[in-house]
Amino acid sequence: MNKVLKNSPTRQTPVQVPRGLVPTPFHARLEPANITQDWMGWSGFLSARKFQSVESEYFAIRNQATLFDLSPMHKYRIEGPDALTVVNRLLTRDVRKLKDNRVGYAVWCDEDGSTIDDGTIFRFTDTHFRLCCQEPQYTWLCDVAWGFDVTLTDESETVVGLSMQGPTSYSVLKAAGFEGTEGMKPFDIHHFDDGIMISRTGFTGDLGYELWADAEAALPLYDRLMSAGKELGLRPIGYDALNMARIEAGFMVTGVEFQSIHHALRPTRGRTPFDLGLDRLVHFDKGHFNGRRALLQAKEKGPRYALVALEIDGNKPAHQALVYHKGKTEAGLITSALWSPICKRNLALAMLKAPYGIDITADLKVEIYHDKEGKYDRAMVPAKIVDRPFFNNPRRAATPPALC
Amino acid sequence: MSNFDTIIIGAGHNGLAAATRLAQTGQKVLVLEQGATAGGAIAQSELEPGVFAPRYAHLLMGLGMPEIKTLGLQDHGYTPAVSDMPTIALCPTGRHVVLQGGTVHYADGTPHPDAAAYQTLTKRLTKFAAGIAQISRQAPPALTGGGWRQAVDLGKIGLNMRLQGKDDLREFMRVALSNVYDTVLDEIADGPLAGVLGFDAILGGHMGPRAPGTMLSLLTRMREGAQRSLPKGGMGALAASFTNAAIAAGVEIRCNSTVFEISVTEDRVTGVVLQDGSSLTCGQVLSSLDPKTTMRLSHIRHYDAEMVRRVRHIRTKGAVAKVNLALSEAPKISGLDDSLSAARWVMAPSMDALELGYNGAKYGRLPDDVIFEAVVPSLSDPSITTGNRHVLSAIVQYVPYGLQQGWDSNSNSDLGDRVIAALDKVAPGLADSVTAREVISPQDIEVETGAPGGHWHHGELIADQMLMMRPAPGMERYALPVSGLYLCGASAHPGGDVTALPGLNAANAVLAGLKRKAA
Repeated sequence: MNKVLKNSPTRQTPVQVPRGLVPTPFHARLEPANITQDWMGWSGFLSARKFQSVESEYFAIRNQATLFDLSPMHKYRIEGPDALTVVNRLLTRDVRKLKDNRVGYAVWCDEDGSTIDDGTIFRFTDTHFRLCCQEPQYTWLCDVAWGFDVTLTDESETVVGLSMQGPTSYSVLKAAGFEGTEGMKPFDIHHFDDGIMISRTGFTGDLGYELWADAEAALPLYDRLMSAGKELGLRPIGYDALNMARIEAGFMVTGVEFQSIHHALRPTRGRTPFDLGLDRLVHFDKGHFNGRRALLQAKEKGPRYALVALEIDGNKPAHQALVYHKGKTEAGLITSALWSPICKRNLALAMLKAPYGIDITADLKVEIYHDKEGKYDRAMVPAKIVDRPFFNNPRRAATPPALC
Repeated sequence: MSNFDTIIIGAGHNGLAAATRLAQTGQKVLVLEQGATAGGAIAQSELEPGVFAPRYAHLLMGLGMPEIKTLGLQDHGYTPAVSDMPTIALCPTGRHVVLQGGTVHYADGTPHPDAAAYQTLTKRLTKFAAGIAQISRQAPPALTGGGWRQAVDLGKIGLNMRLQGKDDLREFMRVALSNVYDTVLDEIADGPLAGVLGFDAILGGHMGPRAPGTMLSLLTRMREGAQRSLPKGGMGALAASFTNAAIAAGVEIRCNSTVFEISVTEDRVTGVVLQDGSSLTCGQVLSSLDPKTTMRLSHIRHYDAEMVRRVRHIRTKGAVAKVNLALSEAPKISGLDDSLSAARWVMAPSMDALELGYNGAKYGRLPDDVIFEAVVPSLSDPSITTGNRHVLSAIVQYVPYGLQQGWDSNSNSDLGDRVIAALDKVAPGLADSVTAREVISPQDIEVETGAPGGHWHHGELIADQMLMMRPAPGMERYALPVSGLYLCGASAHPGGDVTALPGLNAANAVLAGLKRKAA
């Protein structure tokens, strides 16, 4: 009998893994508030698509204040003497330039320069960061951090997040007793004694904050905000309304605007940050980072694609429509579209194949199919490339924000 | 601060070969060696005064004439003392098999029933081996972005295979990625004869003969006709010829110089920093070390995570120990003509014995039935010992790097006892004639040579770690992503054994790179 078998660990009763979608720590409050019971799956969690109606929730974002449960986002703690080196090795942007207690938008790439995911990097100190993103990244972070003195912790289930967005969100914070938030500029981080952390970040292009807490503190935080926000129109919202505000703000979503190279089966589906129009986030002068050599070559060759913002004639949203040049040559695909109630325009994000969107920007048309009670109405509608964001309101960055 | 064109880390035979080749083109080349002497895996050790033993490698089988000529080894003291050395396939029952000049018979002279089948098989395999030999003398074709020249090279190799005829090509395709166990036992019965072929495939590796891909390992070994030779004056003389050839070409060799860091500025190698704090500048650095150590020396931060992951996953578990014995009299194998004692002894009684032996290594045990290859170089070349004494060198297969009981002097001594007992069984009286011994465990090999896991080949030499997969995709053509940094050791294509090919191929990659830059 050999020793290895003798020493093998005794069988343990397996811990029951939850089946199906898992409620987030806010569920005890969100479930009774949800009239429609319209839920969706998000990273294995139960997430509301809407609570009442998408329209009322959307207008709450732009006119009142809203709470969106961010808990299913993946959150990773990167801590240790080499934390700054590892984060700078991971991301294409130079995190040395990010000040302590600031948040930065960032993307990261594989060795071929194709984007893996985008997200936000929270810099607390040069030895402590948090990465917040859509896709699971733990094994990737382990690969990037191999050989460096850092500890990686997946905080996705232990840290919860609430996104509070809308013109009255600052007033809610004040009413809830979060003192010291008046001086917070966009992307600032503020820590409170009770362990709650607030960042002036969001996905709506509007005034807004994200509040982070330990899972145990979830319900008290929710109650505190809801009771403070009673007179300020605060209400929970689902993903559909947030997605409308997201498109108006011109933000991209991994898996929608582009495919993460870690999921794409076809290598040609990879998109460099240049293809996504994120040149400003690629800092070649910071030393090596993942994908740097491939990105240098890509930079030299020029982008193969262009993610553009389109304003389309008419009022029919161009969901998944094809974009044509001069009505004949296929130029690309609409990735996100909506009729924007606040801009009163028909808007879309589109991925165009070079040279369209780069050298050739005129004479674009979008082929919209519109279901008219069982019959498709097809229209070739003129579209023009415009600047992002579609929605831009000075209150987004006003410091201190106006009290309502 | 001195300035060199090229600095080479490690004065093993590959490092020296690369140095010589580059110096021949007029480059100013410095070789830095951590140890006290040059030679690496072909170095020798002095067992007792006047008795020299090959410290690691003890036979030559892949050093080709073109390489000998390129380096001018024959002008610097290299002469084969014995070429085409016979092999004795030892049998525990005493029915040894003699393989000599392509013939096979029992030691007592009676014919071997599988002699004809063996000849047919080895003839075919030798032909296949010659077909792939030319791939060894160049960088493997890149899988992506190689350009037309590489496509032509790849096409030539394919055409060459195709020209061997339909039947041969089919047979090659059938066996190339197969395992040596099935391929050999399809044609000859299991026993010491089959055992020798199995042994030649797995030598130095952490694999059994049933592992897929072991046929390609065997074919690689057979590329120079599968002949073994012994250099005159021992492996030490071979090491000296590599060293002297390098010095004659203008290479500077510094021993006792440990590299602390490979300096990189703006994604380009600029020199090295030594352990003593001094720094040297150069245009390019060639590393005989394995890729992981090389990446660490130049710092992990310069490499993409995927490449680091691929390098971390290179299999480098060593499974070979070395036992050297000083003997007061010539060993005699019972039932064998004395003249054959000078042959290569292989104790691999059968394919099954090999596979069982591998189990021991898998589970971290010392071998019970020792599988080994031994030579007594002093019988062929009396000049390497004085006073009528002899030296026996044994490569002991399936001695695990990760020994469960751990490697210490007790384990070394236990292994030595087992090997001497096994040798005494085939050569009675040998145990009593041992006057000195040294046991070099895989861990010792790692410490002394820097070979990761004590692996002789700096990485398992098996199909999935060969050709464009060696040492890992993305660095198969010697250059690392950091500009000016190259691999030139056994980890690079075509891999381990004393061939000088990784070193020469790496030097050629450097020259091609400089030519491209100049153009």
